[in-house]
Amino acid sequence: MNSNVEEMNDFFTKKRFKLTLLIVILGAAYIGASMGLGFQSHSLLNIQDGIAWLIQNFIPNEASKGYWHEIVQQLLRTFLVAVAATSCAAVISLFLAVIGAKTLTPAITISWVIRGFSSLLRNIPIVAWAMILLFSFKQNDLTGFLALFFMTLGFLTRAFMETIEDFGTEKIQALQATGATYLQVIFQGLLPEIAVALMSWILYMIENNVRDATLVGLLTGTGVGFIFNLYFKSLRYGAAGLVVLSVIILVVTVELISNLIGRLLS
Amino acid sequence: MLTVNHLAKSYDGEKKSLTDVSFSVHPGEVTVIIGPSGAGKTTILRSINQLIRDDDGEILFDDTDMRQLNRSQLRRARCRIGMIFQNYNLIEPLTAIENVLHGCLGTKSNLAGIFSLYSNREKETALKLLEKVGLKDFAYQQCRNLSGGQKQRVGIARALMQHPKIILCDEPIASLDPKSTITVMDILRDLAINDGISVLINLHQVDIAREYADHVIGINNGQVVFDDRTQALSDAAITGIYQKGAVPERSLVHEF
Amino acid sequence: MIKPENQISIPTQLPSGPRLSIPLRFRDRRRVTILLTLAVLGYITLMTLPTMIPSHFKLTEALMSFAENIKIMFLQPRLVNTTFISLLGVLGQSILLAFLTTLIGSVLAFFFALASTRRLAPTSLVLGIQSFMAVIRAIPTVLWVLIYSVVFGLGANAAVVGITFHSVAYLTKVYADSMDELSPEIIETMQAMGLKKSAIIRQAIIPNLIPSYLSWTFIRFEINFADAIAVGAAAGAGGIGYQLFMSSSFYFNFHEVGVMVYMILAFALVLEIISYRLRAVKHQ
Repeated sequence: MNSNVEEMNDFFTKKRFKLTLLIVILGAAYIGASMGLGFQSHSLLNIQDGIAWLIQNFIPNEASKGYWHEIVQQLLRTFLVAVAATSCAAVISLFLAVIGAKTLTPAITISWVIRGFSSLLRNIPIVAWAMILLFSFKQNDLTGFLALFFMTLGFLTRAFMETIEDFGTEKIQALQATGATYLQVIFQGLLPEIAVALMSWILYMIENNVRDATLVGLLTGTGVGFIFNLYFKSLRYGAAGLVVLSVIILVVTVELISNLIGRLLS
Repeated sequence: MLTVNHLAKSYDGEKKSLTDVSFSVHPGEVTVIIGPSGAGKTTILRSINQLIRDDDGEILFDDTDMRQLNRSQLRRARCRIGMIFQNYNLIEPLTAIENVLHGCLGTKSNLAGIFSLYSNREKETALKLLEKVGLKDFAYQQCRNLSGGQKQRVGIARALMQHPKIILCDEPIASLDPKSTITVMDILRDLAINDGISVLINLHQVDIAREYADHVIGINNGQVVFDDRTQALSDAAITGIYQKGAVPERSLVHEF
Repeated sequence: MIKPENQISIPTQLPSGPRLSIPLRFRDRRRVTILLTLAVLGYITLMTLPTMIPSHFKLTEALMSFAENIKIMFLQPRLVNTTFISLLGVLGQSILLAFLTTLIGSVLAFFFALASTRRLAPTSLVLGIQSFMAVIRAIPTVLWVLIYSVVFGLGANAAVVGITFHSVAYLTKVYADSMDELSPEIIETMQAMGLKKSAIIRQAIIPNLIPSYLSWTFIRFEINFADAIAVGAAAGAGGIGYQLFMSSSFYFNFHEVGVMVYMILAFALVLEIISYRLRAVKHQ
């Protein structure tokens, strides 16, 4: 009986040792990474300074009220560009995903090419997209639109492809067995079944793109990102605070609408 | 040991799921509750350890009313009430022995719970219990790799680890094959006879109830319609339990 | 050839007819929602697209120049102002930044998630934390970094804290969602045995949560890597993002951008292989 208890003590000791080792490794990695970056841990304790500063300086004042009109205008542009980029990318992604999904592809080579293409688009940093496009298309909405479009195209193609593959080979074969043509299988069988899943991906992407549009705008000098940068760099913090507030309202509204649609779809 | 008086419970304020339920459970006996599905069997069991808060009545466990206890008193009372579930409810990624040891955590400190600190004596007990349910060789197996019958036996060992005075079993064999059913029921009867534990079981198999129960309680439509020794459970009584008072009309509609 | 197809399609539709009588309204609601949403999105897109192209804009010229730059980037990558080793160094910095923010974020988010899951916490606390996190998530990472770079000064502190903000908000939500998905029976079982909350969290919730915790944390690491690059470029917070920004907008050297993009793609490939492996393990 004693040897049994010893065996169990060993078991718990080993488990505890593994856990301790994991914590030690992560702790060491934390210290290493902090030193490598020059990050001082005590700044984590000073987070409230940032919040306090934010509240002090970013309260919109009388002077910043004059900016309201321009901010709303830019915010609307940013939103429209994000939606347009997502919609356009969604249409092309769906086409690519249908011919690229392993269950439907006319040739497995096409599937691999599309997979590689979408991975490439997704992983090229949005900074690189914005910069190359800025050089050729100059400072306008089209640049931001294209940068978001390429990223979204890569992301949605992959997401749609996985959704179609999850739909399963058997259901598709069952449809083909009834004598349906390729297009009939897609439009009568597949799309109605996965429409809800595709819709939720599109909504998720719109949410994400509204946020990313701010970043792209900052880089390409358009939309709400540009005016934030402008006010911030020229120390007009009240106006910059108004921009942040308006972005919060927009993103939360988009999230609420998308949640509402999600509930209607479930 | 355990006495339930005038227990009542309604879910949506109007339709009563239990109207007036009274019965007693005695040490060293297997008591089986039978009745059609939806009659309120699970509600009764879960009211006893207050997983469901009931509306009215009295649940005397060791002469204290479970309904009057505050949170920490209730927690301490629950430590002495074992419970076994249809779906076993084990922590699947953990090993059998860890699941059994969970049974004694209720009486231990926060620290012991967080760092899995068990005394040698507890470890010894846990192993003995696994041996008792015939799973000594599976002590270090992850529970997700065990069969249904094995999982239920780990569940029993876990309940015994609490040193319970009573074990509540909610449809313990509903998901098991015939062979595992017999193993599990044999273990439960053995606990009543040899360890003097009260065993209270919800069942829907009347033949099993007849074979294993000392005492049978028949529930229909939230009311006790039979409460006697098993010998008194005639075929006529069974028909009464499953038909008398009629199945509510609502569930007939659902059949179609 | 048309006739047999028609004959086949009629009997396949018939059996579903009577069955539809109850779910019809349910299905209709979905269909109407999808069609309406698509109509709105389509309308917005078609109205926006023409207004985006500015007047006096030479589309063909822009496209040609874009194609040329893509060609330079991918086919003629070359370094001029910097060395490969120093680029490796700044790539390493971006990776470290992503790692550190994910680590801090996942630890903090775990505790916030415990306080905001419906399984353990009271509704008022759940709603409070969830709305607070929704507001933090609504502010783009770049703005957090810019704001903190005024308070802390430009550098690693601002970058780490800024990216961590968004990570915590994101991970709190997904961790809490995975806790909500746990079967309530498991927690009930532990309560029925008289376990304290701390023991329930440690012995029941954590073991069940590890797989989804790992995969969400890894996804966040991928996002943080992208954010680290973006923040480096847009807020001047260092790393390979800053180099990318300098090469493209100050030196206009797309050969160099090409090298950096290849380096980032190589690391992304490694991440993709790891995530593929993780998913294979999870499916077992």
